Amino acid sequence: MDEQADNSDRGALASPGHAADAAVGATAADVSDVELVSRAGAGDEPAFEELFNRHRRRVSLIAGRFFRQREQIEEIVQESFMKAYFALPDFANGQENSFASWIARIAFNACYDELRRLKRRPEGAASGDISEEEEAWLKSQLRDVGAGADVEAAAIARDLADKLLARLSPEDRLLLVMLDVEGMSVAEIGASNKWSISKVKVRAHRARASLRRVLERFV
Amino acid sequence: MIGKHNKGETDERLERFGRAIVRASAEANAAEAEVVAASPFLYARLRTRINAEAERRAGGETWLTLLGVFWRSVPAMALVAVFAFILFWTSSLGTTTTVSPGVLSDEAFMDAGDAGIESVVFAERRPLSSDDVLATILHEDEREVSR
Repeated sequence: MDEQADNSDRGALASPGHAADAAVGATAADVSDVELVSRAGAGDEPAFEELFNRHRRRVSLIAGRFFRQREQIEEIVQESFMKAYFALPDFANGQENSFASWIARIAFNACYDELRRLKRRPEGAASGDISEEEEAWLKSQLRDVGAGADVEAAAIARDLADKLLARLSPEDRLLLVMLDVEGMSVAEIGASNKWSISKVKVRAHRARASLRRVLERFV
Repeated sequence: MIGKHNKGETDERLERFGRAIVRASAEANAAEAEVVAASPFLYARLRTRINAEAERRAGGETWLTLLGVFWRSVPAMALVAVFAFILFWTSSLGTTTTVSPGVLSDEAFMDAGDAGIESVVFAERRPLSSDDVLATILHEDEREVSR
């Protein structure tokens, strides 16, 4: 999120009183996110486009944490920015101080909704079948004392990882990605999902236990 | 003790492997995500979608407005219905009080209460005896004779 923080700080000196001048004279890249949000909320389309260009990569990467097909990732990006567009007044009136974290939260929620939708579909559940080759590979990895070291490097692991994670509930998967991939703290996850810190801890514990149970079948 | 130690070791190994799996799954699609992020027409497609959603919401708003009008009219309609029911109830109460149940008068049988029907009033309700009839005939005869 450092990139977004840098973007948010860009042009932080531009005061609201100079908004009109800035709209005309300065390039959009010099303006802070908050200023762009207020302009976009007033119907300034280039301001929203600038916000989109600043944060599209971050939202795409978040979507890529959960989905592998390009269409799915693009769908999440569009859904997230569309929701953000119609919720701009909420951002302006609320306690949010970072557009980057706000749009990231929207993106995570969009991913969560999509995961739930896929989980409900019967064909989504069927795609999680593990082949014999994958099962043998998984067993050999789990027997190995240094298990996990080669997983990320192995090509077979990618498909297998998706299939294994598809067996988790959307909540568990979301939480594990936030913790282990995004490196978010418990407090950040709590703020993102509007959960208490103790709830995040309990859910994280359950999510890890669920993943262990999924893997135990192959030991 | 040994079993417990083994279980702990297995759990730890599974947890480590699980984290690796989560990372592998999440980071495998980074290249695809970068391609999507760099797509030149992404904003144009988003803009089209936003416009379509705005139109849809505007359409939804008219339905919502109609629903709002209907919703606001519900209390008024309920009030009218209650008023009509009370009116009906009190009017039916008024007619039932005029008729005392169990006692049927001659007027009720003859429907004399209705307007436009002449009511018959019997001044003498005692039935005529044969002596009365005879007395009347004799009285008529005597009047004829005296003429």
